[in-house]
Amino acid sequence: MTFRTNYTVNRTPRFSLLSEDQKARMFRGVIKTLNDTGANVHHEGVRELLAKNRCKVDGKRVRIPPEVVRDALASVPPTTTIYSWDGDEEMCYVEPGRSYFGPGPTPPNFIDTDTLERRPYQRKDATIVARVCDALPNIGYVQSLGSIDDVTHALSDVYEFADMIQNTRKVIMNWAFSVENVMDEHRIGIVMAGGEEAFKRHPNFIHYSEPISPLTSDFDAIGKCYYCAQHRIPQVYTPCCIGGATVPATHAGQLIVAMSESMVGVVVSQLLNPGTCILIGGVQSILDMRRTIYSYGAPELSIMSAAYTELLNYVGLPMYSTSGCTDTKRMDIQSAIEAAYSIHTAMMSGANFVHDNGYTESGITGDVFQTVMDDEIIGMSRLICGGVEVNEETLAVEEICNVGPGGHYLYEDHTMKWFRKHWQPTLMDRNSYEDWDAQGRLTMKDRIIKKTRDIIENHEGPVSRVPEDAKKDIQKILDSAEERVRSK
Amino acid sequence: MKSVMPDMQPMNQTVQETPQFRVLTEDQIEQIYFAALDVLERVGSRVHHDEALELFRNSGEAVVGDDKRVRVPASLVERALKNYPRKITLQGRNGKRSVALQKDHVYFGTGSDLPFTYDRKTGERRRTTYKDVVDAGRIVDYLPNFDFFMSHGIVGDAPNPQTYDRHQFMAMLEGCTKPMVVTSVDGEGLEDLWKMACVFQGGEEEFRLSPMFVAYIEPISPLTNDITAVEKLLFAAEKGIPAMYTPCPSSGATAPATIAGMLVQSLAETLLAIALCHLKKPGMPLIMGGVTTVMDMRTTTYSYGAPEMSLASAANTDVSKWLNLIMFSTGGCSDSKCLDEQAAIESTISNLTAFLSGANLVHDVGYIDSGVNASLESLVMNDEIIGMVRQMGKGVRTDEEYLALKEIDEVGPGGEYVTHDHTYEHWREWFLPKLMDRSDWETWNNEGAKSMSDRVNEETQRILDTHEPLPIDDDARKALKEIIDAAEKRHSK
Repeated sequence: MTFRTNYTVNRTPRFSLLSEDQKARMFRGVIKTLNDTGANVHHEGVRELLAKNRCKVDGKRVRIPPEVVRDALASVPPTTTIYSWDGDEEMCYVEPGRSYFGPGPTPPNFIDTDTLERRPYQRKDATIVARVCDALPNIGYVQSLGSIDDVTHALSDVYEFADMIQNTRKVIMNWAFSVENVMDEHRIGIVMAGGEEAFKRHPNFIHYSEPISPLTSDFDAIGKCYYCAQHRIPQVYTPCCIGGATVPATHAGQLIVAMSESMVGVVVSQLLNPGTCILIGGVQSILDMRRTIYSYGAPELSIMSAAYTELLNYVGLPMYSTSGCTDTKRMDIQSAIEAAYSIHTAMMSGANFVHDNGYTESGITGDVFQTVMDDEIIGMSRLICGGVEVNEETLAVEEICNVGPGGHYLYEDHTMKWFRKHWQPTLMDRNSYEDWDAQGRLTMKDRIIKKTRDIIENHEGPVSRVPEDAKKDIQKILDSAEERVRSK
Repeated sequence: MKSVMPDMQPMNQTVQETPQFRVLTEDQIEQIYFAALDVLERVGSRVHHDEALELFRNSGEAVVGDDKRVRVPASLVERALKNYPRKITLQGRNGKRSVALQKDHVYFGTGSDLPFTYDRKTGERRRTTYKDVVDAGRIVDYLPNFDFFMSHGIVGDAPNPQTYDRHQFMAMLEGCTKPMVVTSVDGEGLEDLWKMACVFQGGEEEFRLSPMFVAYIEPISPLTNDITAVEKLLFAAEKGIPAMYTPCPSSGATAPATIAGMLVQSLAETLLAIALCHLKKPGMPLIMGGVTTVMDMRTTTYSYGAPEMSLASAANTDVSKWLNLIMFSTGGCSDSKCLDEQAAIESTISNLTAFLSGANLVHDVGYIDSGVNASLESLVMNDEIIGMVRQMGKGVRTDEEYLALKEIDEVGPGGEYVTHDHTYEHWREWFLPKLMDRSDWETWNNEGAKSMSDRVNEETQRILDTHEPLPIDDDARKALKEIIDAAEKRHSK
């Protein structure tokens, strides 16, 4: 064994779109926008809080001075752990260098897993998505891929979370129409964690809410942000910015608006409860000017998301990014290209949570088959972003000299050991043409459908481990929520 | 006026015009390089070519064994390395110097010699023919994101396997006017192809300044150089023809199962050629290369879709840049037997990684079936993918106009940008898809509910029906025919 000094290793590839100077310049743009232009906040209580803390409030407009932004950034935690409800297992670390991929929230439609037809999202779909995600090794956290159509509409968010959390061990990112519904979901989280104290120690979900571009925090969004911060629930506060429509057509301008509107949530959360976990980011894409579609497959989505990840990393904020989504109406090679492009870019950029894996039809239809395809792509990308290990053993000079010109490595011990580290595809076909032909000439889409249905049929998830009492308590929460809605 | 950046020229600013991507540190590259030098000193490489062995013997530095094994000291390799050009500009028969091989310039092109073609009428695969190569050439000639052409298919209907390369090159020239990378049977074959190219470039001397092609040459891993490969190398060195010496190691079979080990061996194979060509004639335009991938454990397939291929190729490109050598890399290829989601994913991941790595020539774009089957549709699909990949190369601009602080303040909270001049001025900088569908559900259904495969198929047919490359004039055609006929005559016995 030889010893080296002064040796630098790239554990993983280094990828960047922005120089330090460019990041500084964009951040100064955010500071100026918050200070000079400001944002509208449609919530009196929040405006009072901001006014008390050195912000300038003028009607609904709130202008946030640089020092308040600085203080908020300084109090965002460098790391937060989110747990599985099922035991004390640590599932997600919100910290630099860790990327978790998952589906997204709230499309109205879903691709039926039996008929493959597009139809409104139903309650049973939430369970399917939770179980499929539970089984997929490269999916790190779970969102629903829909908003349930066949329950009381005002409570579809609560039903979704109640069903999903019982069907996956993975961390769930939920959403809600209102603060009342967040409170229901919080109660469900507490039941699953085994009590209020247990939930505080081991939070088992992240809450997702959205400001509106440009530069508007509506009553419900900022209200939910306020509630989560008060109760130290990890949260995401991110807009869906439409380049050329709700934000400027230039990427730098778009990201300045996006970050400025999310910073309102960051400032509010840190004023209320310094050190509470908040991620920003969101969907950053463009309005296709020829088709007037908010594109989920455009390369600009990936480019801006990667640049945003770098900008946030520069100021110490975790990034909620986007990938694995498509503009297609039916899975085809376009879905695959757009998903591969966005997943690989998000992975290289090192975003923390990456959502919308399984979004199709530009965010109109959830498709868990797409999620299953994305899982395979994430595996490939992770291998590439794992980098090359360079040391005496991997350099293999001894083996190369032993095998010599014209030999082969098939029976070398070194090969036996390292072969196993090669990536093993589950959906990629590497047969000979003859074997492929003999096995029925399946396309990847055929294999995706088969794999998904196998999981749905055979992977039960943790539902049988949910205590009976917990199930009853959750039902009570749902019943009283129904009561509340009826009485309105 | 508020909220506007002061009008100033920033001082001492670093701007990234394009993305930065790097797999290895300089320290890691050095470890791989020193290990490769060690391999050449300890075990060396076998060279089945008398003149080459003689050159090594006479060098006074290399040691030649009875088993034709050549061991080369670091001193010779390092001296040789200092003598290779860092720039080669290729000129197609259209007269355009369109491929400038120099640091961080990335060009995409096809692969070569696929025995089978996916028949567009029957959907079955069949032997590749002369016409298939012409058609692939026409497609590449048309597609804006393809910069160079390799034959894609092999001319399976040539009269004689010993001279098929001349016919193949003729088919390539008929179909495509862009710069090329060519394969040849042996040294004599390369000489004929070079003479054919000189017909267009205006002779041997002009070819040296404006070469039309790069000769593709490969050693046999591990560490073996067969007679035809060395013939071609030495001929290219003598005439100043750009050539690449590009190993195709299979990690776990013909190379170590670790990526670092595969790169060490592959580099040792390259460095042997570096030393040999230097002994023959210093300064030839030699290009480093490699299809560095894994053998699939279950099927023993040499994988063209494995993520390890992308990772190892990007790492290898890091090594090439450190050595100041031009790099020939791999992308846009797949193990899938048909143009499905797998082909799309593998093509996208490998194209994107190769582009970001900054490899100069990215070949094998359009390969399906692990380098066995040719598909014209795959070329058309990849053209769109490369377009998307190149969009990332534009990076994110951060000058005042792009920060748009003035517009953000003007529009304010709750406003819109659709009707703003700033939007009108900049949206055309976005990627404009040709084959990607971005319609809504109703429009898509009204337009026939087509898949991208349908659109790719239609576009392929449209190009084949309409695109005619610049014709070859009669004089040139006659000169080419003479070269081919002479070769046939020599080999007719």
